[in-house]
This record gives sequence, C-alpha cells and structure tokens, in this order.
Amino acid sequence: MTAMRRDLLLCGLFACAALVWPMISDMRYSVTQTTFFFIWATVVVQWNLVFGIGGIFSLAQVAIFAIGAYVTAMLGYYLGTSMLLAMPAGAVAAVAASLILGIACLRLYGPYVALLTICVSQVLYVLIVNDTDCFTNPPSGCMPLMGGVRGFSRFGDLGFRDWLGAGFYIGNYYVGLLLLTAAILFSIVIIHSPMGLAFRALRDNPVYAAARGVDRFRYQLWIFGLSAFFTGLSGAFYAVNTGVVGPVVFSFQHLLFLLSMIVIGGVGTVWGPVIGAAVLMLADEAMRELGDFRDIGMGLLLVACVVLMPRGLTGLFQDISRRLAKPAGTEGAR
Amino acid sequence: MDVFFQILASGLTLGAVYAISTVGLALVFGAMNMLNMSHGALMALGGYMAWFTMTGLGLPPVAGMLVAVLVCAGVGVMIYLLIAGPMLHSEGFETRVFIATIGFGAMLESVILMAFGPQPKPQPLAVQGGLSVAEVHLPVQNLLILVLAMMLMAALALLLQKSRIGRAIRATAQNRDAARLMGVRVGMVYALVLAISGGLAAVSGITVSSLSSLLPNMGGDPMLKAFIICVVAGLGRVPGSVIAALFIGLFEAVVQYTVGVRFSFASLLLLVIVVLIWKPQGVFGRHQGVRL
Amino acid sequence: MSDDLVISDLAAGYGHQSVLHDLTLRAEAGRLTAIIGPNGHGKTTLLRAISGLIAARTGEIRLGAERISGLPAEAVVARGIVHVPQGDLLFPDMTVLENLRMGAFLPAAARQERTVLEEVYTLLPKLRDRENQIARTLSGGERRMVGIGRGLMASGRVLMLDEPSLGLAPIVIEQIYEVIAGLRRAGRSILLVEENAMRAAAIADQVHLLDHGTLAWSGTGAELSGRPELLETYLGV
Ligand SMILES: Nc1ncnc2c1ncn2[C@@H]1O[C@H](COP(=O)(O)OP(=O)(O)OP(=O)(O)O)[C@@H](O)[C@H]1O
Ligand SMILES: [Mg+2]
Repeated sequence: MTAMRRDLLLCGLFACAALVWPMISDMRYSVTQTTFFFIWATVVVQWNLVFGIGGIFSLAQVAIFAIGAYVTAMLGYYLGTSMLLAMPAGAVAAVAASLILGIACLRLYGPYVALLTICVSQVLYVLIVNDTDCFTNPPSGCMPLMGGVRGFSRFGDLGFRDWLGAGFYIGNYYVGLLLLTAAILFSIVIIHSPMGLAFRALRDNPVYAAARGVDRFRYQLWIFGLSAFFTGLSGAFYAVNTGVVGPVVFSFQHLLFLLSMIVIGGVGTVWGPVIGAAVLMLADEAMRELGDFRDIGMGLLLVACVVLMPRGLTGLFQDISRRLAKPAGTEGAR
Repeated sequence: MDVFFQILASGLTLGAVYAISTVGLALVFGAMNMLNMSHGALMALGGYMAWFTMTGLGLPPVAGMLVAVLVCAGVGVMIYLLIAGPMLHSEGFETRVFIATIGFGAMLESVILMAFGPQPKPQPLAVQGGLSVAEVHLPVQNLLILVLAMMLMAALALLLQKSRIGRAIRATAQNRDAARLMGVRVGMVYALVLAISGGLAAVSGITVSSLSSLLPNMGGDPMLKAFIICVVAGLGRVPGSVIAALFIGLFEAVVQYTVGVRFSFASLLLLVIVVLIWKPQGVFGRHQGVRL
Repeated sequence: MSDDLVISDLAAGYGHQSVLHDLTLRAEAGRLTAIIGPNGHGKTTLLRAISGLIAARTGEIRLGAERISGLPAEAVVARGIVHVPQGDLLFPDMTVLENLRMGAFLPAAARQERTVLEEVYTLLPKLRDRENQIARTLSGGERRMVGIGRGLMASGRVLMLDEPSLGLAPIVIEQIYEVIAGLRRAGRSILLVEENAMRAAAIADQVHLLDHGTLAWSGTGAELSGRPELLETYLGV
C-alpha cells in the first residue's frame, strides 16, 4: 500500500501547486497552455491504462477523445443543450463507442488491434471531411451533419464568460485541473487495485493467470470502457475550452503527438504519461520558432526515445537513481 | 455488360496497385514481425524521386524508376541499421518498432514537404492515352500497372522460391534461431528484406501518384489500405496478400460504383472487421502457437 | 588432437539468471562424448553457448586451436560446429527436401550437397519417401530424422545432438540410436545430450555429468555403468 500512498501524496502536491499557478503567473498564454496540458495529460493518463496496464495496443484513444468532443459540440449546436449536460453525454457516448470497438477487436492478436483501431479513426476522419451534403443551411453556409471540414463552433460554454468576463480562461483552467486530478486518481486506483494486479499477472505469466481464471478479455473490456469515460470527458472539455471542434482532432499528427507523450514519459507507470505530456508540450513550445523543422524535430525526438530509452524518462530516472543508490562497482560484478 | 468490364478493369488496376505496396509490408512482417509504419512515407519518397529525376534533372523514365527504387531501398536499409536493428532482440519489439516507424515516417514526410512543397505535382512517369475494346475504355497507364505488378510478383516469387537468398529469407521468417544455426546471417536478411520492401514502396508510390498526383502525404491512405489487406490475408502471408489485394481492389471498385467513393474506405474497414470476427488470424493466417 | 572441443571456465545464462558456471570439459575429436544431467540443469544452455545462440559471459570455448566463443552463431557453423537443437526447430512451411538443403546453406557445404544428400538418404531412407512433404505435417519421429539429417547436411567437424530420443516411441529411439552408433563408427566427433543415463553410458566413449550448471563427474561409459550410486544421487534413478 505504500506505493499507493506515495502516489496519492504526489497527486495532492501536484494539485496544490497547480491551484496557485494562475495566481502567480499573470500571463494569460501560460495559463491557457497549461489548460491544454491538463487536457492532453488526461488523455494520455487514460491511454496509458489501456496500453501500459491493460496491454492493449490500441490507437483508438484519439478517436474516442474526438467522439466525446463531437457529441458535445453537436448536442450544443443542434439542440442547444447546456454544456453541463452535453459534456457528460459526450463522455457516455465515448464509453459506448469504445465498448463496441472493444468487442470487435480485443480478442485479436496485438498488432491487429493497433492496425484496426488506427483504421477506425482514419475512416471517421475521411467520412467527416468528405461529407458535403448539407444537413442544415445556417447563414454562414452549408452545414453537413458532422460539420464537414470546418467543424462546429459557437455551441455554448460553461458560463465563465458571463461570470468572470475576460478572465473566463481561469475558470476553464480550474475545470481542466479538476479533470486531470480525477483522471490521475482514477489511474492510481486502477493500477493499485485487484484489477491492476490481475493485469500484472496476465502480463508476467499469461498461462498461469488464465489457469487461475483471470479472463483477459473481460478485464480488457472493463479497462477499455472505463478509461474511455475520462478520455471522452476530456474531449468534451476540449470542445468547450477551445470553442471549435473540427476534424483535426482525428488527425494522424494529433495521434502521433499524444502517442509520443506516453512513450517518452514511460509506458505503464502512474507518472510517466504526465511527465511525457509536460515534456512534449514544452518541446513543442521550444520548437515553435523552427517552422518546418518542428515536425522533423518531433519525429526525431520520438524515434530517438524509442530506440535509446525503451522505458521512457521514468525508466531512465529509475536507472539513474538505482545506480546512485548503489555503491560503485557492484553493478559490474553481477 | 460494359459496366461489368469497366468495374473489373478498374478493380484489377486498384488491386495491382495495392498488391505492390502490400507485398512489401507482408514480407517485412513475415520475416521479422515488424509493422513498418513508414511505408507510406517511403511511397511518397519514391514518387517524388521519380519526379525529381525526370522533371528536375531531365533524365529518361528508366532512370526515374531506378533512382526511386534505389533511394527507397537505401532508406529501407537505414531503417534497419538505425531503428529496427538496435531493438531487435529486446522485449516489446513489435510495439516499439511500430511506434518508432510512425515517428520516422512523420519525419520523412516533413522532409519531403520541405523539399518539394505542399502543392500537388503531376507524376511524369506515366503514359497518356487509352484503349477502347468493345466499348470498354482502358487507359494505357492502367494496363501498364497491371503488367508491371504481375512482373514484380513473379520476380519476387522466383526470388523467394528459387534463389539461395530467398531460401535464407524464408528460413529466417519461419525460425530465426534455426536459420542462424544453418549459417544464415539474419542481420543481412533483415536489411535486405527492408531494402526490397523499400524498393517495392517506391514502385507503388510511382503507380499511385500516376493515377492521381504527388503529395507529401499521399502514402497515408494506401498504406492503411495495404495494412487492411495484410490483416485480411493474415499478417506475413506473402502469396495470400496478393490474392487479398486483388480481391479488395475489386471490392472497392464495386463499392465505388454502387455506393460512392466516399464510403469505399469505410466499407473496406467493415469488411475487415467481419473477416476478423469470422477468422481472427486472417483468411490465410494460421494460429500462432501459444499466444494467448 | 587438433580438433578437440575444449570448454574452460564457462559461465552463461539468460538475463539475470545464470545457468552455467565454472564449467570445464573436453570433447575429443573422433569420439562420442555424452552430457547427462537432470532436467533444467543447463545441458541445452551449454549447447546454445557453444553454437553461439547465446553469449558466453566468461570463460572460453575452443575448437582445436581456434577460439569460437564470442563468435555469432552463423560464424560458429562456418567453423564446422553443427547444432541439432532440442525440439528439432525445423522450418515448418518448407518441404523435407528444402529443410535438408537448408542444412547445406553455407557455400562449403553447398558444393557437396548432392553427394551428402545421397549419404543422408542412405542413412535415413524414410526421408527419401517424404521428400516433398511439408515439415509441419510430419510425425514426431520423422521430424527428428529431418532434424538430424539437416544437421548431417552441413558436413561439419563436430555434431551436437540435443536429446535426440526425446518424446519418441522405444522403437523409433532404437532406429535413431542405430544411426548415431553408425556415425560414431564412421569416426565422427559427436557431442550428445541425453536424459537417459544408461543409454548414454551404452554408446558414449566419455560421459560428463552436469549438475546445477557445473561439472559433477566425468568418466567413460563403462565406468558410469559401474557406478549406480552416482545415478541415484544426481538423477534419482
Ligand atoms: N530462453 C530462456 N530464458 C530464460 N531462462 C531459460 C531460457 N532457456 C532456459 N532457461 C532456464 O535455464 C535453465 C537451464 O535450462 P536448459 O534448457 O539448459 O536445461 P536442460 O538441462 O537442457 O533441461 P532439459 O533436460 O529439460 O532439456 C532452466 O532453469 C531454464 O528454465
Ligand atoms: Mg534441454
């Protein structure tokens, strides 16, 4: 239980530090960027549960995120639903979508899952972008059912604009923080719960675990569905926070950016994805000036990390601290 | 009846294009359990290399094809030396190499974008004109692609079945340790397989762009379709993937004619999901040992 | 002799697990040397270390004057050490003939492929009838014969056989051991791993007993037959 205590404590410290951040940083830009960090970190913390803990090499997380965002935006746009209702509805829709997807592909052998899930999100992208039949005809022009290339805008917000005026982004910041904190707590609980243990057993000794009645498919479906809730919710919040939802959220670049966060941070750990999200957002920020070289730099970063640092930054930290803790020389004697 | 032949002709052409890109992927997966996600970027690279050699340097078509194939084969070897080779014997190779090649592909695509710009370019390595046989119109380019695909498949089959190096590739694919005990240098085999696959990607990039046009991200969709075909056939089954490619090409032509181009990718995906529920290892796949 | 296989102070293992340590033994050229020992005490690991499938951590392996430890597997075969692995490891989607031809993959062996293939067919006549059958569909006994035949195709200097009798019916074991005895009479250098100590004692010139990854006893086959207490201590028979 000590590991769980430690993680909970770290989570509390993180939340406290984040609480005061908007008060000491008076730059709007850094606060809104941190809000985006909350969103991406939520997605990758949940993705890590699926990939690092559940052992499901799914690339559908971005699609599930996008479904949460789209459902929220469409409810607001077409039905005028309040965002407070539309967001949970988006999350529930994401869970439903992920369960259908899970039933279709979780029994398959590893690489097949990756290929199928990546195809699903690509197909959704193609369907949305190529849709040119008008569903409604608002003054701004033809509007396909799924928004087409332009996507949706002006579908509502959480009411912070009326309440806080120009400082509305601070309201969004705290909602994002709440979201990420909940997502991390959920991840900590899952990782240290009997379900997490069952997954560890499945990973370390599949035959034994199967003999002891651990039904891999059922556990995987559970973790797939549960993690989709927070993923969908972060998609819904993304919609509200940015005020626009377009097909970009399905794009391959977006998927690559998020996947890099998990891989670079460290797969299968509580804090790896959070660290990875922070590092990648900072790297992205630093390379903003580089223009065309930015994409090359991001690709290079990912390749180099996978090849040179198989366990990500957290694995590297562990190795370094272990080496420091041990008196010199014992390593070579083994 | 004309419609039937028209669909048949365009389906076979599509199938031939898919076969060329699919076989390279299947070969690499079969030999080393590696899903090369930079295949699409290699296709684009091949297309642009042909363009550059012919339009930029003014060399003849043969040179364009040759340069494209050689450059992509070289990049294939580079992928082995820098990415796949170093992690080959480590845990989680399949996932790691998958992710790393996604990154590499994105890099390559950005380089192409920087070098050649985002505007579509015509593929100069294409033949104009058409044949009309009994009211069925066939562009010569399509016929050429069909012939080219058949020749490439025959050459590859011959290489794999009859040559010493082909036996080494098959042996490595079937049992890596045993192949090493026979004296096969598996590192060389892997590098070679990635080179062949790179060369095939170049040819396939040229054919794809000759039917539409050159774009830095032109390889994305064909690559995903090629992977779908691999999955339908069973990953790593090389002859099976040729059959599956032709079948999927025909299927797509039928869907495009009846339901519309928009839904061709989606219905392909639906087809795959049905196939996998029916046969989780693919149509020509076999259950792999004790994998749970 | 110049072609002895000499292992000195060898240590090897997998990952964090060390299996062999301080292992020193010799397999003389032209003779049949048997390795016996309980399950899981490192017999297969020893052969894998010799053939270069796993790396030796410390110590040295020599064939005659040449040091072969540190070489990759493909280089070790090229020096004439042929490993017929436990469980056969055939190429499942190739025919019997293709499997046999893979045995003669290296250029030196490929040059005499035809003559050696005839010799193998004379020694294991059943393989000729099964020539075009896919290896995956063979019976266990047939597979073993293909495995041994494939090893012979390499015309190596040392033949290492890992439990050639494993999982076979007594009558098939008899056939296989007749083949091995024939090879021994022909003066081939053979390193044989065998679970059944009495069978090893009956055929071997020299027997080494492995226990917990190190050498526990060495002697001739006849000596081993006269030491039932040894077998009881180490093998529990
Ligand atoms: N690839 C591997 N990875 C990790 N440990 C291994 C591996 N192969 C073997 N071992 C371990 O090494 C030890 C020695 O195994 P080895 O196969 O050499 O035994 P053996 O004497 O050949 O046994 P048997 O008679 O059952 O074939 C065993 O404890 C085994 O579990
Ligand atoms: Mg053994």
